[in-house]
Amino acid sequence: MTLKSLLKSVFFTEIMQGLKLTFTHMFKKKITVQYPHEKLDLADGYRGFIVHRRYENGQERCVGCDLCEAICPAKAIRVVGDIHPEFPERRFAKEYTLDFTRCIFCGFCVVACPVNALSMTKEFAHSSFTREGLIYSKDQLLTLGDKCESESIAYLKVRNMWGAEDSGKDEGRYHFPPISATQSGG
Amino acid sequence: MAKVTVNGIEVEVDPSYTILKAAEKAGVSIPTFCYHPRMDPAGSCRICAVELEDSKRVVMSCVTPVADGMKVLTESPKIHDARKTNLELLLLHHPLDCPVCDCGGECPLQNMSFAYGATESRFESHRNDEQEDLKSDVLIFNANRCILCGKCVRICDEIQDVHAIGFINRGFDTIIGPPLGKKLDCEFCGDCLEVCPTGAITDHFVRYKFRPWQLEQHQTTCTNCSSGCQMHVETENESIVRVTSKEGLGPNEGSICVVGRFGFNHVQTPQRFDTPYMRIEHRLVPSSWEELLPELANRLNAIRRKGTDRVAGLISSRVSLEDAYVFQSFFRRVLRSNMIDTGARYGFMNAAIPLVEATGTLRPLVDHEDLLKAKVILLIGTDPVAESNITGLFLKRAARKNRAKLYVVDSEAITLSNRASDHIRINPGGESLFVSVLTEEIVSGGNLSDEWLTRKEELFKNWNVDPGVYQRLVNDLKTAETGILVTGRKMFRNENASLSMVNLMKMTGALGWIEKEGCGILPIPETANDLGVLMMGATYEWLPGLLDARNETSRKKWENAWGTSLSYGSGGGLNQILQGIEEGKINALITMGENPIGHFPAGSKVREILGKLDLIVSLDMFQNELVDMAHFVLPASSSFERTGHFVSVEGFVQKSVQTMAHWGESLPDWEILEKTSLAMGNPMGYESSEGIMKEILRFLPDLSPSTRNGEHFVGGTGDIHLVKPVDSTGFSNPSHVNEPGNISRLSFEMPPHKANRNSVSARFSEWNGKTQPVLDAVSVIPGEGEFVFSMTKSLFHSGKMTLQDPNLKKIQPEGKLRINRQTARKRKIKKGEKITLSSIHGRCSFVVEPSPMVSEFELVFPEHFADSQVLALFPSEIAFSPETGTPTTHRIRVSLSTETVS
Repeated sequence: MTLKSLLKSVFFTEIMQGLKLTFTHMFKKKITVQYPHEKLDLADGYRGFIVHRRYENGQERCVGCDLCEAICPAKAIRVVGDIHPEFPERRFAKEYTLDFTRCIFCGFCVVACPVNALSMTKEFAHSSFTREGLIYSKDQLLTLGDKCESESIAYLKVRNMWGAEDSGKDEGRYHFPPISATQSGG
Repeated sequence: MAKVTVNGIEVEVDPSYTILKAAEKAGVSIPTFCYHPRMDPAGSCRICAVELEDSKRVVMSCVTPVADGMKVLTESPKIHDARKTNLELLLLHHPLDCPVCDCGGECPLQNMSFAYGATESRFESHRNDEQEDLKSDVLIFNANRCILCGKCVRICDEIQDVHAIGFINRGFDTIIGPPLGKKLDCEFCGDCLEVCPTGAITDHFVRYKFRPWQLEQHQTTCTNCSSGCQMHVETENESIVRVTSKEGLGPNEGSICVVGRFGFNHVQTPQRFDTPYMRIEHRLVPSSWEELLPELANRLNAIRRKGTDRVAGLISSRVSLEDAYVFQSFFRRVLRSNMIDTGARYGFMNAAIPLVEATGTLRPLVDHEDLLKAKVILLIGTDPVAESNITGLFLKRAARKNRAKLYVVDSEAITLSNRASDHIRINPGGESLFVSVLTEEIVSGGNLSDEWLTRKEELFKNWNVDPGVYQRLVNDLKTAETGILVTGRKMFRNENASLSMVNLMKMTGALGWIEKEGCGILPIPETANDLGVLMMGATYEWLPGLLDARNETSRKKWENAWGTSLSYGSGGGLNQILQGIEEGKINALITMGENPIGHFPAGSKVREILGKLDLIVSLDMFQNELVDMAHFVLPASSSFERTGHFVSVEGFVQKSVQTMAHWGESLPDWEILEKTSLAMGNPMGYESSEGIMKEILRFLPDLSPSTRNGEHFVGGTGDIHLVKPVDSTGFSNPSHVNEPGNISRLSFEMPPHKANRNSVSARFSEWNGKTQPVLDAVSVIPGEGEFVFSMTKSLFHSGKMTLQDPNLKKIQPEGKLRINRQTARKRKIKKGEKITLSSIHGRCSFVVEPSPMVSEFELVFPEHFADSQVLALFPSEIAFSPETGTPTTHRIRVSLSTETVS
């Protein structure tokens, strides 16, 4: 044992070194958040629960085109299309179920949606005692969408999917006879 | 021959070929929108552009004929640009509504845009914003999506010969639709829907309910009529979504009729039986197979022990070969009974018995391809378009494109009358007289005796036969290079049908058409498997293979084959069955999709006769009069739920495969019989329908599957065409299939579907010597102010079963009495009004539909809608033909009044 190492063990140098780090943190800003009493500010691009959106006039946007079902890698979405009961020339989703027990929150469905009917929110803490409780129907998704409307718009904006909405032009926006630019405005 | 180089590949083709066809021969694919192999090229879509290497010119390959030494480039920067520009122009007004378009996912325009990357347009224009045409109950026309390729208009003209849709307006405003903005009124075959490369034509029944990529495709045989169409049944989660076809597929070459394309929904309606029912204390209660079969077996065993021929069986002629084979086997081997009969007894038997006697086979001498080559075609007592739609299509093509001389002998104007060179509108009732006089004229070589001359005079005088036309017909028949006689349902349901059939066969023989290749007689069976069920011996006359069931040697033959002894009685058909039940000699009745009560008027007491039975077992899909009195109701599978083989009008033995899940607890007919026999302690030992077919083929190898494969286009995207034969399921696939350049219709190693002409003509000459032309009396003579009431098959229904179909019910919801338009006007009867018909037996009221097609002496009603009220017009005494045992009363004299019965 050399003298240097003897002195090190006598004066607890290594322990002091370690405690130095500990004590410096006492004067830094705290990172830990007291969830659920405190909540973090999530980024606009956060991929939380998926919701259904409506036009400004309250009309649901979904046209039941099945593209989200086609692209879903986890096969979490099921869409049954049919003729709209009120407008015989429109397509709509008679049934729409999203299984959040399967969903991997990849956001592909939002990208695939041609009418911006789907978006993601900052909601993430939905839980249930049964599996069925996490299989959301269209009505549930719409209610959730109404609740988180600003979040869903922010998501679409930050993910560059809002351009067509603002352009006001026919080009670039999917032109459906059922829900055209003029009709959707109210 | 012209030598053409396509992309460096040299091919030698006929100079009449277009560049497109030459490229196909070279194995090079060229994209197209408006090209269709069965139709004349139009050159309207401009997407099949190719470059000529020498002149650097861009030409349309589908319309440009080849020239010797031509050098063609199908892919070059120039061509790429041309196609891309073209797509930009096509997409200029096309709405971008692919996500809600039913065609999205299988759209050639979508695929081409994807392939050529036409994502941006250099042109500025508005998008079309026409309203959809939703007037029709079947098809929807969306003018916005239309690219005006004209395929739909051309297929309606050239293939279907219906001319229901056309181009409306000119220039940018052009749209496709029915004329004058009216509701679409046509045969609703849906071929336009099939060929449309975009979503401009869609249908109401599956609108917005599916996406093409979710569907599973099964190739199967349509079992609605005897055409034997090959079609694709598309399913999602084992339930049927829609029926489509593919260009060149099967004997139908890609066309399907309205019943095949839209009539699939009756098999998945809630009205269908999903569990077996047993009658307990006068009520039908749902039961299970385990509970019901021992009970049924006990009761059958008790009756069986009483002796032979104690149980009678009626089988529909819409079942597969396998079902018919097991049915007759169950009766002859297990129940020791020969009291069996088929649905063919109501009509087709009148042709089958003379045919088998004269030719020894039920296979036809000619097929549809022979129709195209024939010079003279005589259509007598049939409406092929309604009875066997594809036969109708081939006849239309023969008359229109190949200029065959078509003679129609019928009281009613049929669809083909427009294309006929002459239509002899004989008054109803005179058909048999006409046939016998014509036969005598031809057999005797024109030397008619005085007696026959007076009959001929009578024909001219009283029956609306024009002497000039008659003479033309006789001359044409005699001098015809190749001639075919087509006959069908109306002839079979004539009062003297079997005699008329004998006459027609004598005539065919006298014309030399039996020996000559390409000539002959083509009887159109009434239902999908009339031929097959009879070949399987599901009738008391014949054992499988058309051997005489009551002949000792043929019985021995089958005893050896089955390794059992057959101890059935002498047996009998419908007539004897009803008699036997009345006399108490028959104690039980098992029906498979047959309902004898529905065929006879209430006054005939069939219901009361059947009430004397100790046991009625009904294998059926839907409720009917017999089910109401049955002791056991067993749910049978529809043809979409099981595998089976069907014999088509041309003699093809084609497979129908299982496409949807079993409905409830329903089972295939053969399986029900097998389970019953097992419960009876006398199992037949059939395990699968494949096993049954194997056994059939072991004994009757000539029934091995065969089909005609037309030219068929395949390609990754559905728009890139290359000729390849259809890779059909279950048929042998020779190795040379994939060789490029093999464009001609490939000859498969298929068993022959037509009758062997040598053996037929040998047998025929022997029969011909024995029989003489028969004098047929006039069958029905309407009196002054009276009409002849008859029932025909409707184009929009297949049988009573399809009345349950929601789709077909939308197309034809109710039966309307068709009356001559002039007569209606004279009597001041308007469309949709109710009138009352009364015969000497009863009265019934009908809704009227004036029609120019019906003659002034007749009233026509679709038979599918004939309920007990309609049947009340017919005599209560059932008359059976002495020769063939068929019920003979199909027409009745009626008088008309405008007051309605309450």
